[in-house]
Amino acid sequence: MSFWFWHGLRRGIQSTRYPRRAEAAPGVSPGCPVNTEFESDDEAQRAAAICPVDAIIAHGRSAFVDLGKCVHCQRCHLCIPTPMNWDAGYEWTRLPAKQIECAILPSAFSKSMHIMVVDAGDCGACLHEVKQLNNPLYNMHRLGFFFTATPRTADLLLIVGPVSENMRGPLLKTWEAMPTTRRVMAVGSCAITGGVFGHNFMCAGGAGSVLPVDFEVPGNPPPPLAILHGLLVATGRKSVTKNELVPEGRS
Amino acid sequence: MASVTGASLVLFFLACAGGILLSALSGRKRAPLVIAIAGTLSSLLMVFAAATVLVTGQSYEAALWTLNGFGRLTLRLDPLSAIFLLAAGIVYFSVSIFVRNFIKDQLDDAYPTHRYGVLYFALMASVVLILVASDAPLFLISWECMSILCFLLLNYDLRQQSDKTAGYIMLAMSEAGFLAVVVAFLVLGRTAADLSFSALSAAAAGLSPQALWSVFLLGFFGFGVKAGLVPVNFWLPRSYTAAPSIFIPVFAGVTLNLGFYGILRLNADLIHTGYGTGVLALVVGSITALVGILYATTDNDMKTMLAHSSIENAGIIVAGLGAFLIYRASGHPVAAAIALSAALYHMLNHSIYKTLLFQGTAYVEAETGTRDMDQLGGLSRLLPGLSIIFLVGCLAISAVPPFNGFVSEWMTLQALLRSAVLSSTSIRIVFALCGASLALTAALAVTCFVKVYAMSFLGIRRGTWEPRLHARAGARFSLGFLAAVCLLLGTLPTYVLPVLNRTVEPLAGASVTTSLVQPFFTATAENGQLPPAFLQDFHNLGAQSGKGLLPGRGLVVLLRGLEANPVVFAMSPSYSVIALAVLLLLAWFVVTRLTRRSAVARRALWAGGIPRLLPQMTYTATGFSNPVRVVFQAIFQPNITEDTRQTVAVHFRTAIHRQREETHVVDRLFLEPVGAAMQWIAGFLAGMHHGRLNAYVTYVLAFFLLILFLYRGT
Repeated sequence: MSFWFWHGLRRGIQSTRYPRRAEAAPGVSPGCPVNTEFESDDEAQRAAAICPVDAIIAHGRSAFVDLGKCVHCQRCHLCIPTPMNWDAGYEWTRLPAKQIECAILPSAFSKSMHIMVVDAGDCGACLHEVKQLNNPLYNMHRLGFFFTATPRTADLLLIVGPVSENMRGPLLKTWEAMPTTRRVMAVGSCAITGGVFGHNFMCAGGAGSVLPVDFEVPGNPPPPLAILHGLLVATGRKSVTKNELVPEGRS
Repeated sequence: MASVTGASLVLFFLACAGGILLSALSGRKRAPLVIAIAGTLSSLLMVFAAATVLVTGQSYEAALWTLNGFGRLTLRLDPLSAIFLLAAGIVYFSVSIFVRNFIKDQLDDAYPTHRYGVLYFALMASVVLILVASDAPLFLISWECMSILCFLLLNYDLRQQSDKTAGYIMLAMSEAGFLAVVVAFLVLGRTAADLSFSALSAAAAGLSPQALWSVFLLGFFGFGVKAGLVPVNFWLPRSYTAAPSIFIPVFAGVTLNLGFYGILRLNADLIHTGYGTGVLALVVGSITALVGILYATTDNDMKTMLAHSSIENAGIIVAGLGAFLIYRASGHPVAAAIALSAALYHMLNHSIYKTLLFQGTAYVEAETGTRDMDQLGGLSRLLPGLSIIFLVGCLAISAVPPFNGFVSEWMTLQALLRSAVLSSTSIRIVFALCGASLALTAALAVTCFVKVYAMSFLGIRRGTWEPRLHARAGARFSLGFLAAVCLLLGTLPTYVLPVLNRTVEPLAGASVTTSLVQPFFTATAENGQLPPAFLQDFHNLGAQSGKGLLPGRGLVVLLRGLEANPVVFAMSPSYSVIALAVLLLLAWFVVTRLTRRSAVARRALWAGGIPRLLPQMTYTATGFSNPVRVVFQAIFQPNITEDTRQTVAVHFRTAIHRQREETHVVDRLFLEPVGAAMQWIAGFLAGMHHGRLNAYVTYVLAFFLLILFLYRGT
């Protein structure tokens, strides 16, 4: 005989308390580098040089981080004498570069948002993290987020992957099939900038070149809590963290 | 008025004879026109003759010559015949117009069309003769003519071997039924003065209950063959599928009804039996309905599906007749009148919408070359007019208001619910079970016809056929006419019920008009037709709307109960159709007002993001009906064989073929055991035939001695 009911009661709630309380469990986030002010120009140059994906741009003594490219390899954190500052959190959601206004969904969606996930050439990592949102630990249903299988009932289009040529058509069709008052969220550095795939003849280099993206969740892959933060931002229940981006024309 | 009826009948037979002669004499090209003109004329005369009898309530009688040994042949067109004649007339009117456009498509060059015309009119004449015959010999002769002509028309188009088998099965079953009916008449006629129906009816009063039971059973199953009742209906789907498409409406709309006519005439009019026979009819009817609709839902051939659906409707009608017999035998004339009028109403409705659907199928087949629902699809864009008319037929047959099927099925179920008036608990339980079965049937009918319409007319084209668009004005007129009749019969039941009452009142002993059509138009608080308080309530509800504008008693079908429960059941399709129209308009108005500001963007249909929706990816008719197939597996008992081809190991399969073979439940439970028993008896008897002369001489001698022994005294 199974005592799952009893076991469940005895264990209590295992889900994360986020967003009411920050999640402090070890390993929930790989962390990411943040903009750092070094002692000298050389140190900044070294940090920029060690980054394999050109996510760090040195400008004078400062090293700016473009999170849309970062792959959390930690070389800038562990492999240079003066490491970059490191953010162990997960609230990384940001707006696309040229967007100033945060296009949150109307308040009617704040407790019920249906999400259509499109795998636009993803390696599987981001999709895997997105899938974790449904597990008991993250349990996004408690926050009123639901995955849906049809764009006809979807409010948010969640794109993972750099938008390969074969997925460009289906992605556009999905977007067109969604009723208005819809938002687009690019999850993962591939969906934001093309990531390691970049922009080439078989790859659009990010969802932004195909669709008007409203929110970006950086990370490669972003941890589930980062995606959850993105969803909360989309419904207006969290605000976008003010990332100091690379100043225009300085790189 | 009787002379007018007689004259129109004589003119009808003249028109038929003219049709036969002209079709025989005219060439291939002219024959369809002859069929159309003579057919329309004779069917209008049929309708006219029936209408005069139904409107005036006066029967028409005529005595023909005396046939040696059979007595005098007499004709009599009474209201019971007239209602069936009316249905036949409407069907023939539509078919005669429809046939003209299709006769060339359907019949190969090898078959001369004028011969078809001869058979067509001969069948029409024999059908009317069956309906107006008033003595057993004339009735039986014309019945036999009808059976043979049906067989000839069915086998008119002998291109496939299966057609021939179907025709022979039908002929064999018709003959078996005919023999049963002959025996029934013989049992009845043993004590009768002559073989006229009136004499037989008088003789029936003196028969023992056992003799009446045997007459009932012989007649019920003899006529049940034509009416498509379980277990003698296995010929019906086979022959309907094999028959030429232009001819099946006559099968479904006319000759099927002759079965009900026979049952009513012999088992309800000529003899009066106890309620046991009614229970039998009710149970057989309910089982027939359920079996019919189950096979209709799972079949993908439009013609076969409609054939099974005819069986279902026959079941509903016979269940109504059974309820009528029970109520009549137990002394509840009002309930009996409701049940009989429901059955007759359903008979009339079924003739009309089934003709519509079969003609629609013929139209579809002529346009596309197929009638397999898995191959069709997307016809609504190709044939928008036909699509709407076919939808009307589907809605009518699935009992959706405001069309006619709703009224009669509702009345049938209400008639079954009247079993509350019966005293016997066991019969009430039978009624409840049969009512549940009929309700299940009604629900499955909706599934079935949603499938037919959705799979054939909506979606995208699945098959490889190419549309062959012909202009068919006549066919469209014929279909439109039937759809209009469906709507009229569905919205104006209070004008149909008084017409049916001419037939119902003599048989049931109570008027369905006075019990169901309440006089809201004529009643006032003073004249006492209705209690003032009751009248006031219904006037407040608007039951007198239309008073002064419309003739008749009212537009509400309502059965009044006792003081505690003044309304047993009530409906008014006439008012509800107006209310529905107003609500639709209102909804449309509100929606357009609300969405005035918002722009509508039209994009390609969402199909999972695939580049192109292929026909193989869409929902098929088989898939749609599969839940029914799975749920009722105990009845279908399919024989599933799986053929799996593997390449390397067990896990790597290249193809799985699933074959599903079904034997119809009637074949399995009735035909096959009977056939096996026959084989066994034949095998036993074959042992005697070993070819030795001496033994045969011994048989003759033994038999001779046996006869001498048996008749030793006389």
